[in-house]
Amino acid sequence: MRISDISRLAWEQVKRRKVVTGLCMAGISIGCAAIIVALSIGDSAQSYTEREINRNFKMDEITVTPNSGIPSQGGGEGKEASASDAKLDPGRLTGQKLKIVQGLRHVTAAAPFQELGYIQMTTIDNKITDVQLIGTDLRLLTKYDHKFKQGGPSDSVGMAVLNYGATVGLIDVETRQRLFEQLSTDPYNNKIMEQYNSLSMLPSDMFKQQVQLQSYDPASQTGQSLISSPIQIVGILDSTGNPDMAMYDKKIYVSLETGERLVEQLKLMNGTAGQKDVYNSAIVKVDSTDNIVQVEKLIQKLTLNTSTNLYQKEAMASTFSMFKKAALGIGIFILIIASISIIVAMTMSTHQRRRQIGIMKVLGANMGQIRNMFITEAALLGMLGGLLGIGFSYLIVFGINKLIGSTGGMGMGEPLVITIPLMTLPIGIAFAVMTGVLSGIYPAISASRTNALTAIKRD
Amino acid sequence: MLRVENVTHSFKNGNETTAVLHQIDFSVKKGEMVALLGSSGSGKSTMLNLMAGLMKPTEGHIYIADQDIVKMSENKLSEFRRKHIGFIFQAYELITSLTVRENVELPLVFQSVSPSIRKQKALALLEGVGIPDKADLFPSQLSGGQQQRVSIARSLITEPSVIFADEPTGNLDSKTEEEIINILLNLNKKMKTTFIVVTHELKVAEQMQRIFTLQDGYMITEKQTSSDTELEGGKLIED
Repeated sequence: MRISDISRLAWEQVKRRKVVTGLCMAGISIGCAAIIVALSIGDSAQSYTEREINRNFKMDEITVTPNSGIPSQGGGEGKEASASDAKLDPGRLTGQKLKIVQGLRHVTAAAPFQELGYIQMTTIDNKITDVQLIGTDLRLLTKYDHKFKQGGPSDSVGMAVLNYGATVGLIDVETRQRLFEQLSTDPYNNKIMEQYNSLSMLPSDMFKQQVQLQSYDPASQTGQSLISSPIQIVGILDSTGNPDMAMYDKKIYVSLETGERLVEQLKLMNGTAGQKDVYNSAIVKVDSTDNIVQVEKLIQKLTLNTSTNLYQKEAMASTFSMFKKAALGIGIFILIIASISIIVAMTMSTHQRRRQIGIMKVLGANMGQIRNMFITEAALLGMLGGLLGIGFSYLIVFGINKLIGSTGGMGMGEPLVITIPLMTLPIGIAFAVMTGVLSGIYPAISASRTNALTAIKRD
Repeated sequence: MLRVENVTHSFKNGNETTAVLHQIDFSVKKGEMVALLGSSGSGKSTMLNLMAGLMKPTEGHIYIADQDIVKMSENKLSEFRRKHIGFIFQAYELITSLTVRENVELPLVFQSVSPSIRKQKALALLEGVGIPDKADLFPSQLSGGQQQRVSIARSLITEPSVIFADEPTGNLDSKTEEEIINILLNLNKKMKTTFIVVTHELKVAEQMQRIFTLQDGYMITEKQTSSDTELEGGKLIED
């Protein structure tokens, strides 16, 4: 018997028996929709959380630091100074090594992020805040998911870029002093604390402003401060992550050249500060979190230390894997329940069609052909139920998205939007067809065993 | 063509055994048209079911096209029926969800014959039974006589060795009955197909070439009737 004939005969029955078809489709569609929605929620929630975590923890970045774990044994047998320096400390993070890293596959950016220390920034109108001074290539900031809210990078010496955090909480010296004193005498005074917090979160317009950096002179006996030459703010970065947390992340980025000048002016002694072409930190951006481990291993071969936040992803993946398994289990459970409805409906249908089966057998249909017809019919019911289930799942997801939208999302950055990945559709259909086929086996066997003579006999 | 040898059949009802056929012997030649006549309970329907392989006799052998169908497995019998046996039922037994043409084609569907050949054959047969214009209608749109014509066309589509007709005019009025019998006689004449017509009506049986009469499970007579009859224009003409 041709497949086209089996399918046509099955389709005729499906069309004809509207109640049976409707009942079976309803059951299967609910199960199929449950699977698709569950997988979609799991997938969307995972990518949403991954995106959010990536925004906060930068999982696609590798922080590279010198490998100080390999002690140098000296040398200096008349060789050039730079060569002997390298031999002295092969774990140094040099510009040369960074160039090698930049050329690695999957690396989208590799730049030094020279941590020069935490210092005080003072504006012209005498407002101050503590910032972390970082020397880097300002032109590469955008490669690290930074967006300029105002201005842009500049190569010129004496220019700086502030992150959003560095523009909030600038308080004039007197007010700051007064609040600190009040808090130290009355640490449980909520009013003062609230006032301090609101000032700490207040943003200031720092674009094109001039600032000076200030550090304490370690050589001074009287605690005298060292003040840098004026620095022009040429760019303000947009906030990444939760703006409420910006006050805890204050950074001022300067070019490496400006950094060297500031090290001299402020007598900064942080790590490799002051050493030419040697850095205490660099950040490598990788095209995908999937390639992090591979790139990390290559960097380690350059005798450098690496650290990533990939463990966050692994922890999250195991959590979501559990969630997905649970959701899939629920969907399958619903499909099992749905399959009972198919078994009942198809068995009823088999009894109602005993005469027809009998005629077919008398006309020469064998057991296998009858069985195949019923199984195809059940598979067809499963497929139709699956298609209906896809429709349902889009409706359900639309409803959930509306609900999330009306409740204001999950309180993090962007709102969570559930999307149905295309891959879940064939999975849903496959489960639906499989349920149809499995549920159709018993009625099909029962139909094929129908005694032709008994079936066609009329009382 | 068909040979029934010493066939006995009995049913078990609890501990009791009821014999419905007793040592039946007869044979039908190729192209012959015979009647199996008997009143209700005579065993004629049981005999038909045994010959069609729908039941197995308690004793004896049934040969169709020189093959003993008694020894065949169910699947082998399905295959055999598909190729060698055609059926015409009293209540037509058409599949209501299929069109007239699809009903006629159905036995060929089980033989995996290509749709184009099936269609061609079905249309030719529908023309042969006088309803070429009904091909795309559903059985419910036809009269009883027209449905029986469809059933006849369906029985012929596989070009079987033998066609069993179980009270083919039982549900029809006398005018339609005559038409149907004429069609059967015509087809027998034209296609040389062997027909075994089970009936309780003598006037139907008398139009066949031979009559086997059954009574209480025994074959009581075998009578030659109109072996010399000829058909003209669908009507029987006596020499």
